[in-house]
Amino acid sequence: MEKKLFINLGRCIACRACEVACEKEHGISFITVYEFRDIAVPLNCRHCEKAPCIEVCPTKAIYRDEDGAVVIDRSKCIGCYMCSAVCPYAIPIVDPIKELAVKCDLCAERRKEGKGPFCAAVCPTDAIIYADLNELMEEKRKRKAERIVEAQRKAVETLAYFG
Amino acid sequence: MEEFKIGLCPYCGMGCRFYIKTLNGQPIGIEPYPGGVNEGKLCPKGVAAVDFLRHKDRLKKPLKRTENGLVEINWEQAIKEIAEKLLEIREKYGPDTLGFFSSARCSNEENYLLQKIARLLGTNNVDHCARLCHASTVVGLAQTVGAAAQSGSYTDIPKAKVLLIWGYNPSETHPVLMRYILRARDNGAKIIVVDPRKTGTVWFADMHLQLKPGTDIVLANAMMHVIIEERLYDREFIMNRTKGFEKLIAVVQKYTPEYAEEITGVPAKLIRESAITFATAGRGIVMWAMGLTQHVTGAANVKVLADLALICGYVGREGTGLFPMRGQNNVQGACDMAALPNVFPGYQKVTDDEKRKYMAEIWGVEDLSSKPGLTIPEMIDAAAKGELKALYIMGENPVMSDPNTKHVIEALKNLELLVVQDIFLTETAELAHYVLPAAAYAEKEGSFTASERRVQWNFKAIEPPGEAKPDWEILTMLGKALGLPKFDYSDVEDITREITLVAPQYRGITPDRLKREVMGVQWPCPSEDHSGTPRLHVERFATPDGKANIIPVEFKPPAEEPDEEYPFILTTFRIVGQYHTLTMSNRSESLKKRWSSPYAQISPKDAEKLGIQDGEVIRIVTRRGSYTCRAVVTEDVSEGVIAVPWHWGANILTNDVLDPEAKIPELKVAACRVEKIGGC
Repeated sequence: MEKKLFINLGRCIACRACEVACEKEHGISFITVYEFRDIAVPLNCRHCEKAPCIEVCPTKAIYRDEDGAVVIDRSKCIGCYMCSAVCPYAIPIVDPIKELAVKCDLCAERRKEGKGPFCAAVCPTDAIIYADLNELMEEKRKRKAERIVEAQRKAVETLAYFG
Repeated sequence: MEEFKIGLCPYCGMGCRFYIKTLNGQPIGIEPYPGGVNEGKLCPKGVAAVDFLRHKDRLKKPLKRTENGLVEINWEQAIKEIAEKLLEIREKYGPDTLGFFSSARCSNEENYLLQKIARLLGTNNVDHCARLCHASTVVGLAQTVGAAAQSGSYTDIPKAKVLLIWGYNPSETHPVLMRYILRARDNGAKIIVVDPRKTGTVWFADMHLQLKPGTDIVLANAMMHVIIEERLYDREFIMNRTKGFEKLIAVVQKYTPEYAEEITGVPAKLIRESAITFATAGRGIVMWAMGLTQHVTGAANVKVLADLALICGYVGREGTGLFPMRGQNNVQGACDMAALPNVFPGYQKVTDDEKRKYMAEIWGVEDLSSKPGLTIPEMIDAAAKGELKALYIMGENPVMSDPNTKHVIEALKNLELLVVQDIFLTETAELAHYVLPAAAYAEKEGSFTASERRVQWNFKAIEPPGEAKPDWEILTMLGKALGLPKFDYSDVEDITREITLVAPQYRGITPDRLKREVMGVQWPCPSEDHSGTPRLHVERFATPDGKANIIPVEFKPPAEEPDEEYPFILTTFRIVGQYHTLTMSNRSESLKKRWSSPYAQISPKDAEKLGIQDGEVIRIVTRRGSYTCRAVVTEDVSEGVIAVPWHWGANILTNDVLDPEAKIPELKVAACRVEKIGGC
């Protein structure tokens, strides 16, 4: 399974390092952090498995690359924004210079060099992670199991103390 | 040609590493470095850290004030004239009319040289901006545990079972540290935040004690009252490793949670609950920053937090510690190097005859001044009164960073000689007689000491612009021109080696080692084969008898309290995307557009009373000045509190009254009124 970009809302501190990093890589930020009371949401393209943008694009400018990222071929894009209209997260935006649809490509250039997307690379709290879902979940399960062991040991210690 | 050089972030005191990416010698960006305390991670300022390096405003030539304003002058002439003027003033009025502001933005070597120049000229009038941030910590911890530094390492944080975060908002000031804090939370630690504002850090807290600004002592005393009453203190630790517990019992007796509720505004039940949570966790860390230290009772505030940690036995063990979090990249190092008026490098008192003789011998002079010098606010006052005649400022911007701006400007204008050495023409440099262009972090070498006492080498990635020079080179030129002995340093490593000789904590921290060990070394490191010290106070405290002093303190209210004319409490804070006086961060387009303009937080009830809408322009007035900004109506502040980020010149409002012990100004509390101007 290919790697995906995961967002953990419970860890975002709204520092917007991802936005600045994205802007450094692409000249424009394709990720935006929305701040609310007690919580923040860093929002970017989710590279959906059933991506409506791919399905709706009349010129087939949007396609899935070898790593599974949903990307736009600029030479084919005609700027009709049907992709923006159907996107559940309203992600594709207008490139202010070329006036064509642009969006997160999971840092295609960086991936060619074997590096992950810049936003995930810098995120200080791992609110954004670029990973394989199954591996990520396995790691999380293991951590939970460790916590169970720790709680169990503590309970035994307490029993010994009172016993 | 594209190259990657290992860089050290120039912003806060976390000590993050990254790669500086260069193309044909020009900085083009940063890239995560897979290591360092930040584990490759960065905050937005770190990501944008190369943006200001090639900014068109960079100072490229020395400048001299003439009738036509500041004009360019060559280096030799500038240094010669400055040296002559300094010697002339010393001759005419005596050495104590000279003053030096060193800098927590500069390397250890540079701080070392500047204080050495001051001392060899015969004065101890040298200080730096720790005076405005952690002077309270330096005084408070010296008296209680004997060492004014973070006792543990960042790696202790995930091992703690409770984190007490007091007057400190890491989510904006040290975002990368939040990585460690959230890891502690993943491991089941409880997080207690004490802050007058509901900050981003509070989002992740189990308890938020939203106290009235300036009432910290009452709250801490009340927590200790509960811990003592419920007998939750660490009896063994108190008996074996501390002194003064009995006195503490007597003092905190009257600080019941109910009494504290009246003064602090924090519900008694919550005080009780947080005290019990803290004391019963088993392993705890106390972290603090400017919200605690910038008060007229700053030093006492630090002592009371140290007491709280000590009675629970939370010092010197894994997952425990006292964590004063440093705001600038070399606050710790500048203190260690003695850019302070009362000590020589390594905190050796200037009044100690033996230490003074030792220093004099190394520096090649007969004797040195034993009279403790003036602190930053005292130098400003002395300049205003005409008692201080010359001020040499390296990498500081007191016009923006010090309280009561109008007073600072008047003082600086009163000087016979003002020299400013910096990377940009700051608001302070605009007033100078001479401006010397310095190299920025990526353009020079040297060592920096991060918050957890970690000394790391700063590698050079690019050349300085124009004729700008590293601060250590400028100071070496100046030292020579002043005719000071032994100023023949040929490179920065000569100075690093001299530091290992002079500061006992740095003895084993040689330049070769720092270049080899990119992760750096944590002091104390007494010899070259020593691996450094991740944790202090493990067996004994750094006090003469090895025991920590529990020092009880009584509450004293802030210097200014609200009245009819000024009915609100003004407090200041910092935000993640801007840094201090904006000199560097506001020259990054990416940061500037996201964190663009000044604002003030006001509670919905107060806004309604004053008829102020969210986003409307308001004027804030204190006894010292007025300030215009946008209102942000938010429940993040309590009724009666107005909170402003200080970056955009809010110090025109703040109070310059000093803590008598630490000489830190009360930047966090002032009485103010709010006027509606209207318009957006």
